[in-house]
Amino acid sequence: MRALGAVIVAVSIVASVGRAGAQAGDAQAGKAAYEKKCALCHGDKGDGKGPAADLVDPRPRDFTTGIYKIRTAASKTPTDRDLFDVITRGMPGTFMPPWDVLPERDRGNLVAYLKTFAPDKFKEAPKKQELPKEVAASPESIKRGKEMYEAIECNKCHGAEGRADGPSRAELKDEWGFPIRPANLTKRWNFRGGGGRAEIAMRLATGVLGTPMPSFVDSVEKPDDIWHLANYIASLGPEAPNYATLLSAQAVKGNIPDDPDAEFWKRQVPQNIPLAGQVTIDPRNFNPSIDMVALRAAWSDTEVAFHVTWDDPTQSAADAAKKAPPDAVSLQFPQKIAEGAERPYFLMGNEADAVYLLRWENGKGATEATANGPTKIAPLAGSEATGKAVYANGQYRLVLKRPLASKGPDRPRFQPAVFLPVAFQAWDGGAGETGTKMSLTSWYYLRLEEPQSNRRFVVPPVVAVLTLAAMLLVVRVANRRA
Amino acid sequence: MRRALGAVMAAALLASVALVVQRPGPVNAQGGGTVEVTVTYNGAPVIEKLKVNKDTEKCGTEAAIEKVVVGGNKGLANVVASVPTAKGAPRMVKATVDQHGCKFVPHVTAMMPGELELKNSDDILHNIHTYSTANSSINKAQPKFKKVMMEKFEKPEIIKLTCDVHSWMLGWLAVLPTPFFAVTDAGGAAKIENVPAGKQTVEVWHETLGKQTKEVDVKAGQTVKVSFEMKK
Repeated sequence: MRALGAVIVAVSIVASVGRAGAQAGDAQAGKAAYEKKCALCHGDKGDGKGPAADLVDPRPRDFTTGIYKIRTAASKTPTDRDLFDVITRGMPGTFMPPWDVLPERDRGNLVAYLKTFAPDKFKEAPKKQELPKEVAASPESIKRGKEMYEAIECNKCHGAEGRADGPSRAELKDEWGFPIRPANLTKRWNFRGGGGRAEIAMRLATGVLGTPMPSFVDSVEKPDDIWHLANYIASLGPEAPNYATLLSAQAVKGNIPDDPDAEFWKRQVPQNIPLAGQVTIDPRNFNPSIDMVALRAAWSDTEVAFHVTWDDPTQSAADAAKKAPPDAVSLQFPQKIAEGAERPYFLMGNEADAVYLLRWENGKGATEATANGPTKIAPLAGSEATGKAVYANGQYRLVLKRPLASKGPDRPRFQPAVFLPVAFQAWDGGAGETGTKMSLTSWYYLRLEEPQSNRRFVVPPVVAVLTLAAMLLVVRVANRRA
Repeated sequence: MRRALGAVMAAALLASVALVVQRPGPVNAQGGGTVEVTVTYNGAPVIEKLKVNKDTEKCGTEAAIEKVVVGGNKGLANVVASVPTAKGAPRMVKATVDQHGCKFVPHVTAMMPGELELKNSDDILHNIHTYSTANSSINKAQPKFKKVMMEKFEKPEIIKLTCDVHSWMLGWLAVLPTPFFAVTDAGGAAKIENVPAGKQTVEVWHETLGKQTKEVDVKAGQTVKVSFEMKK
């Protein structure tokens, strides 16, 4: 029995050594892969000054400093595994894509090559960051985590509800002096080092090197608080955005509430839609502030209403004196909803095909317009659109309404049970976004769902009862024969 | 019994005070001299002002970033004066930086390699973020309940201190290879005592105006004066 145990131990040691051996890459081989895949941004010398570096925000890592954001090490340098994981998973929310398409051996070689850019820093073996014993997520733990979140003032950068709207936000700079944004804690899928509880706890413990995010391992009241904080942060948002593909608007009898915080809207499931920076026409938006809107929609005999939720860390209205643009959002539809699949150019149409814009702007309210391209927008007179928005803790919630019937040929008609093309655009005025500097989507489809008749509650039970009766009849006849 | 205890405590208190007050590594007090350094600046003070948008009850409504502080007679404050050529035992004086009123107090701290005491007397979150190359740079949170932290700086170099929560907070830590140092006061004066006799080099460093050195001849039991003029 004991011999068996020894064998198992020996085998597992050999296995783990073999694994580590497979990871220790060949720097020379890594150089070839680096020059092909990495140098465009990170530069031939690894100094983060590749030809594309100026277009990338956040900027590419300068490997010569040996400063790496994502570590599981208590010391300054990351482990080989940390570097390997970043290459494999990429840095979500940045231009660094996941390189899991590369063979594992290439990634191992890349790790070895990256270390040669800062040989002094990697002289000493990294020390593992130990975490206290894991505390499972529970209401008590989350409550304690919230207390600690307030006590250690995470809100200073990350905001009271975690939407990156804290008062220190505007002042934050990385160690190279470039502005840097705090993480939006409600969007875990964008967490650079992963959004799992253990990964969050590790980030809290080690901090994020080269950024303002400090280490908290010795700066909580009790060691377990690291886990309570991680559990609380994980509770602030879902692990994945579960983006919608087909959008729907619910049929309603009577009035649709104007208040964005009405129970009616809270009951509806949000349909999350990802937004990307507009990078086709100058001025472009390489690091958009708004990366998602959540849509809830409803329609009645008389009107159609869109409830749009999006995170914006700064509430800003147009200010001519400061040349500051306002926060805004718009829903785009084809001006004429044609049969067939052809739609106007997604970027606000073109000369041939116009789009219709239902727009809301902070300070100005709802407007209607048509556009033949992003610089050719013509407001529509006699707008009947209305908008009501609330802003709190880094988030806008807006109800944007319009009559269902179209007034004249400039506006599209909203018909039920038809796939209506729709696209979204958003501007964060506080980040200087205006005009073509926006975030946007391509076309989606929206369907105004027809009211479901009550017959669905009647017909199936009737069918079931009839079937049961028929079965009983068959059984009875069969028994009688027997 | 109580009186005896009191006496013991008083003695212990005295001993500890004596320990802290003990002046810099007087290895050869019998052969030491005093160096009096004065630093002047021919330009205007540079103090950047910034409007504060948070923690105003602790930080005030306007923050001042003191880059060049000029006192009476053009005296330049916050200059580290040291005698790098003189070696001696480590100082017993504990180096302390307090984060008070959303400022690093003092603005410039000099110490020998060893531990630095970091205080937070503001009752709000600060984070101590250092910029250094010889020592590992650190970025540690110091929430309101963490009144004191100890940090080790083992290699001589000049380290910038910042707080990301309050971006205007700026401080400097001079980790020096010698126990013979002082930081100039508001009048631009610094006094370095017990410097070993002989030819020595006096170095002065200012955060924006740079470094200067001068040779001096230190004589036991005497005071030698040396003055520097910093230029833009």
